[in-house]
Amino acid sequence: MTATTAKGRTRTYVQALTEALDIAMGKDASVFLLGEDIGKMGGDFGVTRGLFDKYGAERVRDTPLSEAAIVGACVGAAMVGMRPVAEIMFADFLGECYDQLVNNAAKMHYMFDGQFKASIVVRTACGGGFGGGPHHSQSVEGWFLNVPGLVIVAPATPADAKGLLLSAIENDNPVLFLEHKALYRLKGDVPEGYYSTPLRKAAVAREGKDVTIVAAMKMTHEALAAAEALAAEGIEAEVIDLRTIRPYDAEMVLESVRKTGRAVVATEAPKMGGLAAELSATISEECFRDLKSPVTRVAGLDTPIPFSLVLEKYILPGKDEIVKGVKQVLA
Amino acid sequence: MTLDLELMLDLYKDMWLIRAFEQGLEREFKKGNVPGMLHIGLGQEATQAALAAHLQKTDCFFPDHRCHGLNALAQEKHAGSGERIMAELFGKATGVSGGKGGSLHSANPAVGNFGDNAVEGSFMVTVLGVALAWQMRKEPKVACCVIGDGTVGRGEFHESLNMAAIWKLPVFYACVNNGYAISTPVGQAHASADIVDLARGYGLPCVQVDGNDIEHAYEETRKAVEYIRAGNGPYFLEFKTWRWQGVFSGEFRPPDEVKYWKEEHDAIAMARQKVLGDGRATAVDLDTIEAEVKAEIEKWIAFAMNGPMPDPAKATADVYVGWEIDKR
Repeated sequence: MTATTAKGRTRTYVQALTEALDIAMGKDASVFLLGEDIGKMGGDFGVTRGLFDKYGAERVRDTPLSEAAIVGACVGAAMVGMRPVAEIMFADFLGECYDQLVNNAAKMHYMFDGQFKASIVVRTACGGGFGGGPHHSQSVEGWFLNVPGLVIVAPATPADAKGLLLSAIENDNPVLFLEHKALYRLKGDVPEGYYSTPLRKAAVAREGKDVTIVAAMKMTHEALAAAEALAAEGIEAEVIDLRTIRPYDAEMVLESVRKTGRAVVATEAPKMGGLAAELSATISEECFRDLKSPVTRVAGLDTPIPFSLVLEKYILPGKDEIVKGVKQVLA
Repeated sequence: MTLDLELMLDLYKDMWLIRAFEQGLEREFKKGNVPGMLHIGLGQEATQAALAAHLQKTDCFFPDHRCHGLNALAQEKHAGSGERIMAELFGKATGVSGGKGGSLHSANPAVGNFGDNAVEGSFMVTVLGVALAWQMRKEPKVACCVIGDGTVGRGEFHESLNMAAIWKLPVFYACVNNGYAISTPVGQAHASADIVDLARGYGLPCVQVDGNDIEHAYEETRKAVEYIRAGNGPYFLEFKTWRWQGVFSGEFRPPDEVKYWKEEHDAIAMARQKVLGDGRATAVDLDTIEAEVKAEIEKWIAFAMNGPMPDPAKATADVYVGWEIDKR
């Protein structure tokens, strides 16, 4: 499903991210990493494993539990030409550095009339499904959607994880880079060496003619599983993987919906005020006359993420909910 | 301590530039010529003049919301265009931030001004990154942040001092303790009314300065900047000062306190007394400096008033680097 065509080897999503960091640091001395336990330990999920030994404690820098200072230091370093990459252990902790991302990084280029660039990447692990409980499981893109100046990137595959991370590091805008924890062990073809995957470009993960399913991250895989199940019933679903959530590739989404006439948008986050709402509104505004039925949102229920797996499974959407959503728009 | 006459007269002029700037600005604000909010720094002139005297244009400072004077002084000293700070306050295209920043976001990296962040304390963590980059690149520069006493309540204060201390970053904390966070007295808001007591635990040098004694402020700032530039790590100065009544300056001050700070311990009056008492300068010399500075500030105000408004289409420029967004 990746747009990259170079010959691949099989790697996990985590390994793909590590390769991207390694290549970026090797190419550009201004790239360095900041985060909690990212040094010798290699990060909570192993993404920076091996980089400490290769690049040293200065460029793979362990920090105190100071998320505001981690992101603030990235912004300041970017103001004088560096390209720092922060790791925030869990996306749920972004509240601690929300001000730096929203009021500082995202506005800096604008409010100072283009005199500074906040060329930072903030990587973070998001998403539920593993019993992480209320503060280690959330899908946070909705917290940041309403922030002009911020870029939100959310890869679904190992190949895109590498190519998008390299693009994010090279980009001059502040990027919030979302890594769904359920994808970390996912294996896929990952081309060797340097390549970049363009930001703001979605990908057609599966072609179809009857309905468009728009998703990102883990929900892309749920959507693909749903499409497979639907195909057995003769329903051909097209799956669009957004890849960049802000600013997103409206052109590709709308083109697909104009073709199929039906749309389901699928997010793990709660329905209210989130990405699903934004996509649904835009599709409805732009494609109203092409739509054969109203847009349906498949989303998490409007609750915090509960700990017990039975409870968590109940509130998070997956393949079955997407299949149900598709049948609703086809009815 | 006695600074030599030429330096003392320069600092006297700088302090008057700050005072005249703020007084002229406040006058125009009351007339309705300056949009938005205004936080005046009157009474804090010596502190700002001391900082401007020692920070080079290749260093940086993050000014707080009462630093119009410091911004103007740096802009004038290093670029010869102090009037562009005034124009920014008027929301004009000729302002340093093109009218997009205003009073709270006037920046110009060419003179070391890295801009205020109107969320007090926010830039206390941003300054770490500037310092870290310079340390990594072995550039002997000083990254300064000017904070108020109120900022000490923010978590960023502690995250910043801790990180600067463990990594020995070249950060200059210039804490302007003017006694009040809007209306809340410093002793009511913090565990100690002396901010150095709160900073000291992080193991960096912490020195309290009479922020209204220009000679003391100048000398202690010199020591701090030299210490940091030599690669010794961060340094914390607490300037004890007091801001005059003015817009957004709080509700009530005890009359004795007002009398002390405005009549007995005013920075400009004290500096004047010092050089006149020494017999090193005459009242005419000092009055001439004052009159010239005031006339200059009137020119800056005229520049700001007469400058062009930004092109409205610029409102959508620079949201992203390299990407356009929808226009109206």
